[in-house]
Amino acid sequence: MNRKDFLSAVVPLATFTSAFTSQTSSSKTHRLKKIPPYLKKGDSIGICCPSGYISLEECQPAIKKMEEWGFNIRIGTTVGLRDFTFAGTDEERAQDLQQMMDDRSINAIMLGRGGYGAVRIIDKIDFTEFEKRPKWMIGFSDATVFHCHINHNYGIATLHSKMCNSFPDDFSKADQTQIDSIDSIRQCLAGEKMIYKRLPLAQNRSGEGIGPLVGGNLSIIEQVTGSISNLHTEGKILFIEDVGEYLYKIDGMLWNLKRSKKLDRLKGLIVGEFRIKPDDPGEEFGKTIYEMVMEKVQKYHYPVCFDFPVGHVKENYALKCGVKHKLTVSKNESILKEL
Amino acid sequence: MNIGDCNAVSSFTIHYSQLTIQEMTIIPPYLKRGDTIGIVCPAGYMPFEKAETCIETLTGWGFKVIPGKTLGHQYNYFSGTDKERLEDLQHMMNDKNIDAILCGRGGYGTGRIIDQLDFSGFVKRPKWIVGFSDITLLHCHLFSNYHIASLHAPMAAAFNDGEYKNQYIESLHAALLGKKADYTSDAHPFNHQGNGYGILVGGNLSLLVNAIGTSSDIKTKNKILFIEEIGEYIYGIDRMMYQLKRSGKLNHLKGLIFGTFSEMKDTTIPFGKTVEEVIKELVEEYDYPICFGFPVGHDKENYALKIGVKYSLTVQNDLVKMKEK
Repeated sequence: MNRKDFLSAVVPLATFTSAFTSQTSSSKTHRLKKIPPYLKKGDSIGICCPSGYISLEECQPAIKKMEEWGFNIRIGTTVGLRDFTFAGTDEERAQDLQQMMDDRSINAIMLGRGGYGAVRIIDKIDFTEFEKRPKWMIGFSDATVFHCHINHNYGIATLHSKMCNSFPDDFSKADQTQIDSIDSIRQCLAGEKMIYKRLPLAQNRSGEGIGPLVGGNLSIIEQVTGSISNLHTEGKILFIEDVGEYLYKIDGMLWNLKRSKKLDRLKGLIVGEFRIKPDDPGEEFGKTIYEMVMEKVQKYHYPVCFDFPVGHVKENYALKCGVKHKLTVSKNESILKEL
Repeated sequence: MNIGDCNAVSSFTIHYSQLTIQEMTIIPPYLKRGDTIGIVCPAGYMPFEKAETCIETLTGWGFKVIPGKTLGHQYNYFSGTDKERLEDLQHMMNDKNIDAILCGRGGYGTGRIIDQLDFSGFVKRPKWIVGFSDITLLHCHLFSNYHIASLHAPMAAAFNDGEYKNQYIESLHAALLGKKADYTSDAHPFNHQGNGYGILVGGNLSLLVNAIGTSSDIKTKNKILFIEEIGEYIYGIDRMMYQLKRSGKLNHLKGLIFGTFSEMKDTTIPFGKTVEEVIKELVEEYDYPICFGFPVGHDKENYALKIGVKYSLTVQNDLVKMKEK
């Protein structure tokens, strides 16, 4: 697809610093949404690793870029810290995140990388201060735990986007879609209203839906089901992505979504990138992602958009979770528009 | 037979007005020589030859065997299309001439058909459904929705390679005949000692977490829970155990049994702990009896366990006892 067709001009919000933009809704499930204050030059972004280990060096391209954007960068104690696969022990990771959340001089928190570890510490986090003074939590993959948990329990918006580990070492040699994806973080943090356009696809289902955007990594969505971090999808536009799983595993997770009624009352479904682990020889699953998704949502009528650029790929645009969007899928194009 | 012939198991002093359905399990009729076992594959494909030893063995035990259409049948990964697998299992469940259903193998696929199964005939004439791994979903579903006991036990594929004479396959035979199980297992340094008594539930960890939030989800309060797994990453076990924990499933158990965790994998950056160490940390806070290394799972060591039936679990410093009541 043509990149120009995709990321169209975005309209900046009039008031960048309008904290706590609230919108109420008649429906009980649409909780009061708090939009954390958008950032302005001179604000501080903290980098923190609640999941997997990443070295400080690997974070440098992100640090440099975000400094170019005019932000001060504060390095958390878990950056470069290591306890096997984790960025420190559970206590160290929880403490760093807690500190970043409570420190009033930090205006947003970007995660170093995903991996695994968020569910091990989330119940240790005290959200009291964060709830009073929300700030943008930025990341994806394992960070889906935070998106689900924070969106639902505190009604606070979060930013699903690339993290430090996905900034290229050399921007001059990077893929344009990767550069645009990273720039979409800057635009989101500046309070610009995002519009993403996509070329049409035969497998899509046309329609239009309006609702708060929620979602993230499919494995994580399954794995918070039943817990206090459970994702609530009624009346929402849901997006899903995953990486490194066999097709049969993806199918099983989609059945969990369906059977736990998370697909029943959507306003729209966005299927991002699924980087599938190839079938083992002789174990060919024989179904595509399109078929696997459509068979589960065939009796509903909301729009379905496939191949949306969100996931573990270079082209992974920033999405504001918890914020109201409009999804329009037609024969001509698909548009996801922040309202 | 009709439902009045089922044995309602309850150790409670029964005041019918107060009896909650959780305290009662419907036990399908046990088998006797001459009864018929149907073999069905609701999930992954299995060549017919791999069931031959099983069929011979079951016949040797005095049962008639009816292979279902899905045994040896293939549609890509599966033992038939969803429709074919559904129809075969449905037919086996409803056919009055079939007294028990043994699954050929697990794999993946039961979850694709479970919501289309019609249990109305089966509820009137329950029969033992035997299997594990992917069949965990069927066990959970049957017990959660219909309070019908089922059998977590070796499947047809496990009878091969001369294994049909071992004590684990024998335990399936005994269970089908209605003999009460009395198992022992070795002590393990991570065990929590104690006694627990309650209804047994459990199975494959991936399937247990996959059922959470759905109509097949099992309630674990006051129950003995057992868990086994195969082919997962160590971090995956940690993540799934955290899900059980965070969804409250480990809070009020009467006992917790860890079976075998076969073919575990680690990531390039090592997790830094063994599966047993991961689990040990996670369950440290609970004071009910807990045992590790119980012979249930994807290895040869896989005792037949009746889901929905009461057991007593005794974890001593030198021995673990698991006795059916």
